[in-house]
Amino acid sequence: MTSPTILLVEDDPALRTLTTRALQENGYVVRPCATAPEMWRAMEAGPVDLVLLDIMLPGTSGIDLCRALRRESEVPIIFISAKASETDRVIGLELGADDYLPKPFGTRELIARVRAVLRRGGAEDRRAQRGQGIAEFDGFRLNLPRRELLSPSGAVVDLTGAEFDLLVALVDHAQRVIARERLIELSRTRMGDSSDRSVDVLVSRVRRKLSGTGQDAPIITVRGIGYMLNAEVARR
Amino acid sequence: MRKGRILSLGLLGRLLAILLLTMAVEYLASTILYERSSRALIHDDEAHRLAEHLVIARKLVSEQSWPERPSMAARLTTDRYDVHWAGATNPNLPPEGAPTAARARMIEWEPSLADSNLQVRLVPVGRRAQLFGALQLADGTWLRFRAIAPSVGGSLNIHRILLPLFPAGILLLLSALLFRETLRPMRMLALAADRIGRRGGVTLPETGPREVRRVIRAFNAMQTRIHQLITDRTQALAAVGHDLRTPLARLQLRSDAIADPALRQAFETDITEMEAMVGSLLSYVGGEDDPEKPVRTDVAVLAQTIVDDAADHGGAATYVGDDHVEAVVRPIGLKRAIANLVENALHYGHSARVAVIAEERVLLIRVDDDGPGIPDDRLAEVVQPFVRLDPARSRNTSGLGLGLAIVARAAEVEGGSLHLTNRPEGGLRAEMRLPRG
Repeated sequence: MTSPTILLVEDDPALRTLTTRALQENGYVVRPCATAPEMWRAMEAGPVDLVLLDIMLPGTSGIDLCRALRRESEVPIIFISAKASETDRVIGLELGADDYLPKPFGTRELIARVRAVLRRGGAEDRRAQRGQGIAEFDGFRLNLPRRELLSPSGAVVDLTGAEFDLLVALVDHAQRVIARERLIELSRTRMGDSSDRSVDVLVSRVRRKLSGTGQDAPIITVRGIGYMLNAEVARR
Repeated sequence: MRKGRILSLGLLGRLLAILLLTMAVEYLASTILYERSSRALIHDDEAHRLAEHLVIARKLVSEQSWPERPSMAARLTTDRYDVHWAGATNPNLPPEGAPTAARARMIEWEPSLADSNLQVRLVPVGRRAQLFGALQLADGTWLRFRAIAPSVGGSLNIHRILLPLFPAGILLLLSALLFRETLRPMRMLALAADRIGRRGGVTLPETGPREVRRVIRAFNAMQTRIHQLITDRTQALAAVGHDLRTPLARLQLRSDAIADPALRQAFETDITEMEAMVGSLLSYVGGEDDPEKPVRTDVAVLAQTIVDDAADHGGAATYVGDDHVEAVVRPIGLKRAIANLVENALHYGHSARVAVIAEERVLLIRVDDDGPGIPDDRLAEVVQPFVRLDPARSRNTSGLGLGLAIVARAAEVEGGSLHLTNRPEGGLRAEMRLPRG
């Protein structure tokens, strides 16, 4: 298997060098560039597996660049930004970026996210699966691009990244049992999940967040095997 | 300041006081003048009557023989004038008497009196004056007379005083209403000035008298300038905060190259602390992004996420509130606020019990700890930005001292408030009270 090629767009020279080095040390081929025109040239130079994009670039903003990129290709994009606000996060992900990496970041976090995004599979798969990216079950509304869950009464139900991914996995396998091992595997590929909490703890937390008044969450435990979302899922 | 407020009459009061004073002066002046002139009329009247009386008295007394004269004089004495004849050859008037204008008026009325060497004196009697006089008969003897009633002074009529006060009262009331209306823009100005620095300043319409319009214009300009100044500073701070994150990212990546694990760990701790400072600064100055929009949110779940996260990092955090409490809030700001409270509770109180409770009208977000609490006299102080209770910045205190200031601001943005109390059983209770829409 050839090493994945990563296109890095970062205007700060020192940070560009450091990030490039960190990626190279972990076995990636890196094409560093400082500006939008450089990026387009680098795109033409050969296939790219992932783009790491700084939002605040001189000239074109990373957001405009992301839009332009999305029109051309389905290459996975990870935003890098000093603006750590959730608003930016949502904008980034709604624009079709795949993840968001706030500054400052360490090598470990950088590699974990790159690896996770690369592992999530091809963009075509994602598109086909997502549709508009909304899954509904039991009155709940799971908005995949916004990474947001709404309760039956329309309130935002706060979920951590790991909890959200777990719920997505359950929704994807609705009314089918999903093995604990598979869930553990899924949660490991997920970055930002640095703590070692077990899948069972995650499931119990998601359950509590989904439980209504006098009504249990539609997640059932299949003893010795795993878990199952016991609800019909409608996708839009 | 409070003292001044009690003593001060206020602009309306002052204007009314000025009006009252002018009216009082005007009233007094007019009353005195009126009294004076009416008294002058009375004098004329009296002088004429006396003159007539004297002409008759002179004639009648002169016609009598000397022995008959005193009784004739006595008969001429009325309840108004005392007429007296004793055959004296000098006027024999009280020496302290002063000549008076009454003589001229009497002669003017009865010119024949001028031939009789008429002498009139005003003699002070107590605080008033009495008229004394004498005139010489043809045979050289003097006929003396005096007015029985004191002629000058006299009581002021209560009726005459009160009557003009009635229109004055109406005038005062009317001006009070008019003044109030004129001063209304000032009141608006005060309200607007009070709002500066809080949420949503207002540009006032330029209405009212010219002077007030000028003040309003200046005020609006000042408000714009202040707003601009704050915005500039905020943007500068936010820019610095954002820019710091790039070198921080460099530092962090560089620290990965450090071979010594202990040194690398120390580096990472420092970088994490600096990042926390930048984060809290950005959150405090609000330069992180556009103002957050309120969204319907399950606040209980929000709090549970924070508690779970704290527990995962080894903190003694538990959630004891309602399972689900939905409210329209700004979730990012509120999440940061609750996280700050939990962080404080764990740091100073070594435990955090978090509860989100829906009451009828308020939403309570309560964080209790089992720490030493905060001295009662310093409870208000700790909410101020950049205030730390540790006398010297202790080693394990991270951040800039903005934690509670951010919480208070988040509560304020939701139209609520932050309350810190020392629980009777020990420990601090931090409670955000938000209105339930």
